[in-house]
Amino acid sequence: MSGVETGRLRAVLDRTADRLLAATVLERIAIAIASTALALLLGLAIVAAAGYDPAQFATHLVVGAFGSESAVSRTLRFSTLFILTGVAVAVAFRAGVFNIGVQGQFIVGGIACVMSIVWLAPHLPDGPIGGLALLTIGTIAAVAAGGLYAAFPGVLKAYGGANEIITTIMLNFIAIGIVGWLVQGWFGAEDATSTRTERLPENVSLPRLVFDEPNFSIVGLVVTLATVAVVAVIIARTRFGYDMVTSGYQRSAATYSGVDARRTVVATMTFSGMVAGLAGAVFAVMIQGHYTDPGGVGNYGFDAIAVSLLAANNPVGVVPAGLLFGGLESAGSHVQFNSDVPVQLIDGIIGLVVLFVAAPELFRMAAKRAGIGGEDR
Amino acid sequence: MSARDYANGIPVRLGAIAIVVGLASALVLQSDVDLGRLVTIGFVNRSLEMAAPIALAAIGGLYAEKSGVFNIGLEGFMIIGALTTAAAMYAVGGSSPAQRHVWIAILVAVVVGLVLTMLFAVLLIRYEADQIVAGLAVWFVALGFAPFVAILVWDDRNYSGLASVDTLTIPYLADLPGVGPILFDQSPLVLLTAVFAVVAWVVLYRTRYGYWIQAAGENPEALDTAGVDVIRVRYAAVLFSGAMAALGGAVLLAHLGTFNGGGDTLTDGRGWIAIVAYLFGNYNPIGAAAAALLFAALDQLNVQFQTAGIGVPGKLVNLLPYAAVIVVLTAWGRTKMPASVGDPYESEE
Repeated sequence: MSGVETGRLRAVLDRTADRLLAATVLERIAIAIASTALALLLGLAIVAAAGYDPAQFATHLVVGAFGSESAVSRTLRFSTLFILTGVAVAVAFRAGVFNIGVQGQFIVGGIACVMSIVWLAPHLPDGPIGGLALLTIGTIAAVAAGGLYAAFPGVLKAYGGANEIITTIMLNFIAIGIVGWLVQGWFGAEDATSTRTERLPENVSLPRLVFDEPNFSIVGLVVTLATVAVVAVIIARTRFGYDMVTSGYQRSAATYSGVDARRTVVATMTFSGMVAGLAGAVFAVMIQGHYTDPGGVGNYGFDAIAVSLLAANNPVGVVPAGLLFGGLESAGSHVQFNSDVPVQLIDGIIGLVVLFVAAPELFRMAAKRAGIGGEDR
Repeated sequence: MSARDYANGIPVRLGAIAIVVGLASALVLQSDVDLGRLVTIGFVNRSLEMAAPIALAAIGGLYAEKSGVFNIGLEGFMIIGALTTAAAMYAVGGSSPAQRHVWIAILVAVVVGLVLTMLFAVLLIRYEADQIVAGLAVWFVALGFAPFVAILVWDDRNYSGLASVDTLTIPYLADLPGVGPILFDQSPLVLLTAVFAVVAWVVLYRTRYGYWIQAAGENPEALDTAGVDVIRVRYAAVLFSGAMAALGGAVLLAHLGTFNGGGDTLTDGRGWIAIVAYLFGNYNPIGAAAAALLFAALDQLNVQFQTAGIGVPGKLVNLLPYAAVIVVLTAWGRTKMPASVGDPYESEE
């Protein structure tokens, strides 16, 4: 195929993709809001059915998410992780690859970050310069580890035909098991009373700016937003991003315009895993300061799937979706201490959000029946 | 799969088999294992007990997929089944339930599973929800609501005061060497699973309704033209899959006799392994049950290693089934999926 023809095909594809995306952006936002509202309403109904006061529960949700400075910083702390892991999921889903293994890549990235810093710390000078060097090394280690751990199922899918949904889920279990075993054994700190690694040295931490919180730094949020911007630009403006998205939407067209489908799958998974690894580094440095049994680090990688879906797998859309989920999670911590309602309800509500997002027809039909819009689609 | 693809896959398959054989022989050589002490009747029975839940969910899942609907929510429905059984057993039998309470609880779990699957099926079929996303959502919903309900009922995510199902012992026959303790002193739920696998195979491959199910997944237009309601066949298959997964969860609980709502909950990935089991068994219910037995046996190896006094870290041996799934999927990944899986069907009327 000649270069001119390829260029024309690309232009046509571009225009089609643009129209498809623009036409549904508003509708998607409406569906995301409707899904969330419906899931929250069902959640309140369940609270009422279980014999609690739904109005009080709703108040707890709002106060727990935004009611005080500590609530806001807690919300932003969770949001940071949800946005990063959500972007990791979005990158893959956008390309039609289902990376359910963000949780595993997040864990592998976190432990790689902590261990590389702990091992190298004695060889580098103390003070801020050494700290910055260690932070850089730890971040690179996390990104590399996350990328490699995701490349593996990518290769298995591309060259072995193994369904990546199942392999990545299995690799989550395997990451939790192996890292758990390592933290209990070789990587375990000798002086620790609980299962954990050595602590990060004191010069390795993010500065406390704006919020005086030990577990949140605005630097983490800035890094996250910068990552979102970089990923968005890569997807929208680079050849790699273009190949990824076209193979997601139009596999045969992508192949005709010379995209190696197998290599794109591997590259997509690696890219997605690198972002997940970065999320692991932010979690390890900003929140934990060491690493514990990964069975208890929180299900960021799973909830990230919900975040990404709510954002229609758009990296920029992940920011508001991540804020919403961060708020829900933060409200959950508040509910746990101030109310009898079991906090697991929040996870169930998140599941309901995903369920409704999966069925846009539900809302289209409801809207049609109610006489609002929907006539042209 | 074309012949060329198949030929390309051969090195991968051979490699996978070589890896498994190599790992196994390394383990045997290194630890000087006496195989007779590892493979005992107790091991076979525990493996069968743990295989039954996976096999039941797998049979349900393959029916749904054969009809053209990928029920990736099996894990979620298993969790719901296990929780409902536990809660129902506690409701009717209190803290010391009798055998009849166990059976009532299993029945309740299947009915609840059916009702919830109906809602899921409506979302999938009527409202054309993305099957993969909706299936994942069922998993999330179950992961959240199962511990929630457990805390409402017992004030704790875990509850251990339940009963497990008694084995069915046939006098004299049970004393036969070898087969006696396995066939005639066995959990009735294991025997039921074996019957289900055979019946499911006969129905799918030897009855008219079975052909309808296959046609709904392969060529729904043709089935429609022949005057059969594709949508109705798919509803039936999805309902069956949810009920079987719930039954699988119920059987898991009835064998363990305790509910665990922490971490990945009691089901702990068995629903996912069920999906791999039917892929491995190439959509054949009996093959899927055999694959389930293989995974369950790998899972039980941990106990065997401990009783035989072999010092392998339990946390790592527990990962064997998951690693096996990856090897199996890579070596047998390209199974022949029904042509219309994932496509919503709309009649032309």
